[in-house]
Amino acid sequence: MELVFEEFYRSIPKAGEEVCGDNVEIIKKENKTIVVLSDGLGSGIKANILSTLTSKIASGLLDKELPLEEILSTILATLPVCEVRGIAYATLAFLIIDQKQQLRLIEIDTPSAFLFRDDQVKKLEYQEFELEGKKIKEANFKFQRQDQLFLVSDGVTHAGIGGLLNFGLGWSGAAGEIERTVNKNQENLKDSINNLVKIFNTFYGDQAGDDFTIIGMKYRKKRKLNIWSGPPLNKEDDKHLAQKIYNAEGKKVISGGTTAQIASRELDEKLEPGLKYYDKDIPPTSKMKGFDLLTEGLLTLNKVLSLLKKYKPGQIPVAGKDGASRFTRLLLESDSVQFFVGRAVNESHQSLNLPINLGIRSQIISQIAEQLRRIKKEVKIEWF
Amino acid sequence: MPKNTLKICIGTPCHLMGASELLELIAELDQNLRDKIELKTSHCIDDCCEQAPVAEFNGRIYQDLNPEKLYKIIRNNIR
Repeated sequence: MELVFEEFYRSIPKAGEEVCGDNVEIIKKENKTIVVLSDGLGSGIKANILSTLTSKIASGLLDKELPLEEILSTILATLPVCEVRGIAYATLAFLIIDQKQQLRLIEIDTPSAFLFRDDQVKKLEYQEFELEGKKIKEANFKFQRQDQLFLVSDGVTHAGIGGLLNFGLGWSGAAGEIERTVNKNQENLKDSINNLVKIFNTFYGDQAGDDFTIIGMKYRKKRKLNIWSGPPLNKEDDKHLAQKIYNAEGKKVISGGTTAQIASRELDEKLEPGLKYYDKDIPPTSKMKGFDLLTEGLLTLNKVLSLLKKYKPGQIPVAGKDGASRFTRLLLESDSVQFFVGRAVNESHQSLNLPINLGIRSQIISQIAEQLRRIKKEVKIEWF
Repeated sequence: MPKNTLKICIGTPCHLMGASELLELIAELDQNLRDKIELKTSHCIDDCCEQAPVAEFNGRIYQDLNPEKLYKIIRNNIR
């Protein structure tokens, strides 16, 4: 069984602030994943710049695979220090996990990580050392198949100050909430993160007193997605292609009204076009047995492309019930994506005189594939 | 069971030319009138995309529609 490492995070700005003073950078490489969390001193745009600067330097150096000691001393030497208070302007936590599931975590001035194992949240075993006058905590362990790991900024351990509690949740309070939430639904990390954000926000009385961020990580089974878009050049391929996607392993999507009609005809399944517009710019989705989603073609694909361009690894995919949002979610939740693309010219589109970049299916799909590869999805395209 | 059938095309050309407004019109119809109509959508009606948006009411195809035109068609042909 092939496993993939998945991670989700959410950052909530302090009430009244436009931007969050915490920043997360996630880098997916062929053989490892790098996760960096930084919390800038204070809140608002100043904190945001400080944490972005810190996490970008750290992720950039980690990406270049320099020795860890060198990376740490570079970061510590460059981290700006507050002249008045004598403390660093930003905290830092980062981890690297490789293909052998070996995880190395470094924490500087940040709350300890939460390891969820055997239905309980535990503290990791740390070694401590000093570098450039800073206390650094390091943990090394093998990430198990059922483990989940959470990193938070101190806005989480302080949740409740000025709200429901006098002194905030603290580490063990936050651990209790994480344990309770994850035990309700161990499979869906995305839901756990969303629920935890709601809980911590409630402790603050829905008025976060500080920026807070929570990142969750775990292993899960690899997911496959198959997409058919466009009628094939040769009509004889219709049946072959319809059978091929129908029998493929994983979830199935058809993008294109004409394509859906061909599939319905060749597979002898009833096609039910939808009535509801969830988004005025995206035509309704349809239903057919054996398929997870049937959308309109060109406009939906263009919208999917623009949503993917905005996506940063680790973010929780867009909500929304319209065809493009649902399509984007399916793409982001999958690890390996197979496109079957028909290249026949759609006569009905010729009458519209669409701008050339909007009108050419093969171009849009190539661009979608490029975006998916950017976030390290496995993509294959077959042309018909 | 409603006696009248209305099918609205939601293919790309019809969508761009205002199919969503036709669907909106139906949603806003007087309840008495609405109850008499079975509403469906389609990915293409009769390949007449150049005259989008297209709809079919009780078996007859109407092209180049807008909400006012469709309302009149329904009013005049309802059974």
